[in-house]
Amino acid sequence: MKRIYVIEDLCSGCRLCETFCSSLPHGVFSGQSERIHVMKVPGEEKDVPMVHCDGKCIRSIFDDGRPTCVGLCPTGALYFAEQERAIQVRREYEAARKEHSIFKFIAPWKWPFPWRRPGEKKARSPMGEVV
Amino acid sequence: MKTRSDREQRVLRVNLSDGKVSMERLPEEWTHIYLGSRGVNARLLYDEVKRGTDPYGPDNILYFGTGPMDGMPVGMGRLSIACKSPRGTVAEGSAGGFFGPELRRAGYDYVAISGKAEKPVYLFIQDEQVEIRDAGHLWGLTTYETDVALRGEIPDPDTQLRYIGPAAENLVHAAVIMGNLNSCGGRAGCGEVMGSKNLKAIAVRGYGGIKPFDYDSFVEAYKVFRQRVDIRTSRDMWSPVWTTYGAPVLSRLFTDIGNLMTCNASVMSWDYEKATEISCERFLDNYAYKSKSCYCCPLPSCQKLYSIPSGKYRGFKGGNYWAGQPITFGSIIDNGRLDLLLVLSGLCNQYGLDVFHVGFTLSWAMECFEKGLLSKGDTDGMELRFGAFDEDAMVELMGKIARKEGFGELLALGCTEASKIIGKGSEKYCLSVKGQELEAIAERNLLMVALGVAVSEVGPDHTRWYPPYPCNPNLISKEELLDLGVDLDLRLAFDTRNPEQKGKLLRWFTISRAIVESLPSCVFLVRDTLGLDMRPWWYLFRAATGVDMDYGEFVMAGERLMNLDRLFNVREGFARKDDRVPYRMSHEDVPNFGYKKVDDALLNGMLDEYYAANGWDLNTTVPTRKKLAELGLEDIVDDLEVNGIEVG
Repeated sequence: MKRIYVIEDLCSGCRLCETFCSSLPHGVFSGQSERIHVMKVPGEEKDVPMVHCDGKCIRSIFDDGRPTCVGLCPTGALYFAEQERAIQVRREYEAARKEHSIFKFIAPWKWPFPWRRPGEKKARSPMGEVV
Repeated sequence: MKTRSDREQRVLRVNLSDGKVSMERLPEEWTHIYLGSRGVNARLLYDEVKRGTDPYGPDNILYFGTGPMDGMPVGMGRLSIACKSPRGTVAEGSAGGFFGPELRRAGYDYVAISGKAEKPVYLFIQDEQVEIRDAGHLWGLTTYETDVALRGEIPDPDTQLRYIGPAAENLVHAAVIMGNLNSCGGRAGCGEVMGSKNLKAIAVRGYGGIKPFDYDSFVEAYKVFRQRVDIRTSRDMWSPVWTTYGAPVLSRLFTDIGNLMTCNASVMSWDYEKATEISCERFLDNYAYKSKSCYCCPLPSCQKLYSIPSGKYRGFKGGNYWAGQPITFGSIIDNGRLDLLLVLSGLCNQYGLDVFHVGFTLSWAMECFEKGLLSKGDTDGMELRFGAFDEDAMVELMGKIARKEGFGELLALGCTEASKIIGKGSEKYCLSVKGQELEAIAERNLLMVALGVAVSEVGPDHTRWYPPYPCNPNLISKEELLDLGVDLDLRLAFDTRNPEQKGKLLRWFTISRAIVESLPSCVFLVRDTLGLDMRPWWYLFRAATGVDMDYGEFVMAGERLMNLDRLFNVREGFARKDDRVPYRMSHEDVPNFGYKKVDDALLNGMLDEYYAANGWDLNTTVPTRKKLAELGLEDIVDDLEVNGIEVG
C-alpha cells in the first residue's frame, strides 16, 4: 500500500502542504489541516511535517493521483510510494546527500539536472539511473 | 472558525500616544484601484502623512500591509512596510516570512501605527483581542533574544512576530524590522520609525481562514503560475541555480565580467581565489545546514540557515546568504574569509542593522582612511584598510554601530551624513542615492540598474525592478508583447550597455513589480515570462478576489502605485535633481573593462525617456494633469496645488 513518507531534513517549513490540504474540503485556506501539520521548532532550527493521512486526497489537484501535498512540495521532503520503493528512494537520497551538498536542501528527484557521482563518467538521472 | 471571503480590506489603527485602537473598513473599490499591500499602503501614506511631517514624530504613521492574496499559496507571506523615511522620501520595504497570512487570519489586512508610546511597548494581536503591552524587559535585546523572550511569554508557537533590534531603538540609519530571526524589511527607514515610536515588536495570531472567491479557478490559475516558477518546468535558466545555490552563485562570474564592486567600487573585479572562497559552493559545502522558506514558497531553497563548524567563530549560527553579503562584507571591504563574512552579516541580523548600510559605509570609511581623510584618532585606533583590518575590532564595531558608541556613532549615520561631518571631499567616495546606500549591483555595466537606482523613490532598491539581469528575450515575441500593451524591443532593451529603451524597460519593470508586490507576492518569483506577461497574476487575482477587471486595468493599478510613490516625493520637494547616481559612477570609468561612467549626458538621456514614457514633467517629475486623470488620481491635483506644486 502506498503511503506518504517524510524526509524531515529536507523540509523548508513553507507550509504549502498544510495550507493547500486545509483548502481541499471546503475551499478555505485555513492553514490548519488534520491530515498534515508542519511543526515549527522554536529557533527555526527544524520544521517537522507530521502526516496523518492515507494519501487519498479529498480531491487531488493533480490528474495522476499524487496526493496534493506530495506534488506541491518544492524540496521533495514528501514522497508517496510503496514501502519497498520508499526504502529505495530514501537510500538514493542519503547517497546523493553525501555526494553533493545541494542535496542537503533538495531531493535529487526534484533537481532538474542529472549529476555525476565521483568516479563515474556518466551522469545519473534525478532518480538514480545511469544515463 | 471565521472565514474571510470579502473583498473589503480592513485597517487596524493603533495610536501609541493615547493607546486607542480601532478598526476601519476601506472602501471595497480600493481592491480594484490599488489591489492591496504596497498599493494601499502608498495611498494611505499619501493621504495621511502630510508634507513636512517629522519622520520621528508622532504624526508619522507606520503601515504594515498585507493584501488580498496573503494567506493563499501565492502571497508568500509578503508584508509591505511603509512610512515617511527619515531621509524625507517615501519609505517602503517588503518582508517575507509568515506574519502577513497570520495578520489576515486574525481579521486585518493592515496595521497603521501612529503616535508615540511614552515607554517601550509591544503590540499583541489575537483575532479581536488587541493589546498594547509593556516591553521594558525587551528593550535593548537583540532580535534573537527578543524572539526567544516573546516566545517564552506567548504560549501559542504559531504566533508570528516582527521586532526591532538595538539599531532601530537607537535610530541607527537604515535599521530594519526583523522577523522569523532572519527575515528583514524596511531598510528605507521603517525600522528607525518603529524605534522612534518606542514600539519593540508586534505579535499576531489569527485563527480564521481565507476563502478565495472562486476556488476551482484559483487552483487552475495556480497550476499555470506554478509551472512558470517550478525549477523543473520554468524556462528561466536562472531558476534552479539561483533558488538552490543562492544568489552568491554570481560572485566569480561577476569578478570575471567586471560587475563585482571591490574596494568601495574603485575597481570592479576581485581576486579570483577570494571570490571562490566566498562562493555559494563553499557556503553550501561547509556552512549551510538547513533550507528555509517563506509562507508557501514554491522555490525549494532560497534561504538557508548556517553554522560555523570550526575555528575562531565555531558555533556561530545565522541565516541567509544573499547576493548582497558577498559584496557588502566581502569584496567591497576586500575580505576573502567566508566565516568572518557570515559572522558580520549574522551580527547585522541580530542587531537589526542593514547590511548595505554597514557594508557601504565601512567601505567609504576605509577609502577615507587610506586617503588620509580619517585617522586612527577617528576610528578608535582601528587600522581601517581594505583587506587589512583588525578582525576582532571589526566584529566589535557591529555592536558599536548599533549602540552608536565611539567610531560606531559616525558610521551609524550612514555614509551620506557621515561624509558631511568629515568633509574634505569624502562625499565623492560615498555610494548612496537620496541618502540611502547602494545595493550591490553594478551600474556602469548595467544601464537599467543605473537608471533604476537613480529614480527609485525609496532610494536604491533592486526589488523595484528585479531581476537586474536580462532574461531570455526569446521567450516572448514582440507581437505578443504588443498585445499585452508592452511596446519594447527586448533585444535592444536587454542590451545592458546600450542606453536605448532603458527608460521604457525600467518603466515596465517598475509597474509590473509594483503589481506583484501589491497582490502581494514575491518579486523573486518574477521568473520565466512572469515579469513580461502578467496574465497569470491577473488570473490568480481575479479568482482570489472576484474583482472583475480587465487586463489593462490590472496593469494600470501598478502604474498608479508608481505614480503615488513619485507624488509623495515631489510633495516633499524631490525633483529631477535628486534622481542621480553616486559620484563615483558618474565620474569614473570602470578600470580594465572599458565600461564608461554614467555621466550626465548618458543619464539625462535615459531620464528623459523614462519621464516621458511615464507622462511626467521632465524637470519637476510631477505627473501631468492628463496622466493623473488617466490614472483616476485627479483628487490629488488640489492637494499638490495647495502645497505649491504646479501640475502641468
